[in-house]
Amino acid sequence: MRATDFLLCVIDASGGAIRGRTLLQKRAFFVSELTGIDAGLRFDAHYYGPYSTTVESAATQLQNLGFIQESNTGFGSVSGGFEVRRYDYSLTEDGVRLLVPLRGTREHQEIRNAISRMASAGDPNYVELSIAAKAYFLIKRKGGGMSVLELQKQAEKYNWSISPKSIEHAVNFLLSVDLASKA
Amino acid sequence: MDSRLEIRDPIHGFIYREPYERDLIDTRVYQRLRNLRQLALAHLVYLGATHTRFDHSLGAFHIAGKLGKVLVESESERRLIRLAALLHDIGHGPFSHVAEPILRAHSPKQLLEGKEESKIHELISADIILKNTELKEYLSDREREQIVGLLDGSFGHSYLHELVSGPIDADKQDYLLRDSHFSGVKYGIYDQERLANTLCVYDDNDDFVIAISIDGLHALEQFVLAKYYMTTQVYRHKIRLITDNMIERAIRLGIEADGIKWLKSLYAYDGSDEYIQEYLQWHDERLMTEILREKNTHAEDIFKRLRERRLFKCIFEADQNDFHDPWVRDFVFAGANDFHRSLESMIAKHFGFDANYVIAYTVTFASATKTESEIPVLHRTKTTVFHDESALFKSVDQKIREQHFHIYAPVEYRGDERKKSRQFREFKMVILQMIQKLANPQQELHLDRESES
Repeated sequence: MRATDFLLCVIDASGGAIRGRTLLQKRAFFVSELTGIDAGLRFDAHYYGPYSTTVESAATQLQNLGFIQESNTGFGSVSGGFEVRRYDYSLTEDGVRLLVPLRGTREHQEIRNAISRMASAGDPNYVELSIAAKAYFLIKRKGGGMSVLELQKQAEKYNWSISPKSIEHAVNFLLSVDLASKA
Repeated sequence: MDSRLEIRDPIHGFIYREPYERDLIDTRVYQRLRNLRQLALAHLVYLGATHTRFDHSLGAFHIAGKLGKVLVESESERRLIRLAALLHDIGHGPFSHVAEPILRAHSPKQLLEGKEESKIHELISADIILKNTELKEYLSDREREQIVGLLDGSFGHSYLHELVSGPIDADKQDYLLRDSHFSGVKYGIYDQERLANTLCVYDDNDDFVIAISIDGLHALEQFVLAKYYMTTQVYRHKIRLITDNMIERAIRLGIEADGIKWLKSLYAYDGSDEYIQEYLQWHDERLMTEILREKNTHAEDIFKRLRERRLFKCIFEADQNDFHDPWVRDFVFAGANDFHRSLESMIAKHFGFDANYVIAYTVTFASATKTESEIPVLHRTKTTVFHDESALFKSVDQKIREQHFHIYAPVEYRGDERKKSRQFREFKMVILQMIQKLANPQQELHLDRESES
């Protein structure tokens, strides 16, 4: 499946819009893991967790071609004076038209199911999903079970700071969507 | 100051080198960059554009040194930044970026996993930096690993990486000025001193990144405009796109249709020492000469055309706004190779060309401005991002995101300008129908005289 089609389906299955670049990346990450669909996304360890430049360029491509639109909202300044902005993505009319043949496909159904599973598992926000993605990325990279302490130590290697409590939340989410088993 | 350590550069004046940097520059592996033209065959349009990767790498090294003095406290990190800039293009092969898609196509997939198409030369650069015996004489193992890490972003804070590989890095700060100068255009000029002096390091949520003071906003705007103008006027000049595509097609045909074994080996990067050693023997002129020796091959024929400047011509051009139907737009700009090949065959069959010589090409500017938009702009009491501060950037960004679709073929337009325009319109009309047909196969294709005229 092309990365652009994959992303269109993820946004479609998320109700036609996704709030925030991080959420877009993490949803794409978990949908990719849950469905096993090969869209060539290739996630690497970045500062903000698993990150795919392919997702980023597919989103840019869809935006350039008028199939999704990006809007941003300011949330004022945080300490240090930096203005926080969130970038939201939504399908355009042309994007919805492009989805018509995709909606009948097996991949679209699988992507819908994956998004539903994530919603049933508590529909984590971008921060929670980001921590869960980091935890899953580390567990998968090790190839098996890890203790909370081990996870924390591994996370430090990537400059990821994760508290034991947030690891617990992350593990609960991973268990709910069947991406982890209790050791 | 020892004059033997200085080089006079037309862009930056005197460039000073430390003795070990001079020795490193004097190695054979580094001197090879003198034989790689920075802009491939752009001199077929811009007569003066014969400058090389060597000149540019020295320029980037000089700017990295200047930026390091302002932004980096540690002497060892300043040294690493200069070296990383000096070596950043060491992995380029003949005709630089032009052959990267071929390297991707003929190299083992697992080796390139996670690497963008345009970044394969960076993998080769890393191999050369880590393994080349000449470089080992002047740089320690640790230093070579750190340089590679700086270039790929795995070593040090983000701002150090951004100085050598970021939206306003030393590389771009040099090539805009240099390419502009040697092309004989004035589009790439910006206030480098002001830009460099208004850059700063910003603590973004525990990650240190490059930011700009509000006082440098206009210098950054000027830089972005310079990049935009150079992209549209020089880097994406129609003739330059044609020559780049002809080189790529010639090499591809040389490997896939003509079966030239040495050519296939040259573009089958496998990460081995033997490969790198062989790769380092090649440069623009040698590739041109060796291909011209392969008589009666497609590759030879196309390179002969390039040498004699008998170039393919553009027979179709459109941008995304010309395709109102979303399926067609998606097909043309995101359909990639299958669509290109089918269209090339259809055009060849209809107009009687050799299908190998019809080239469908998508010109995209998408990556050009992406990252500048997020550069933090520091005010006295708050921090914003560049695209929110600069009204000018928004319109440039909008324009630069437009994608174009071109088709080139070996045609000769004849007659006066009016007749040439008419011939072009005829091609365009027929090709538009072919595109519609490929995107919507259930539709009937009518290529009658009426639609062609």
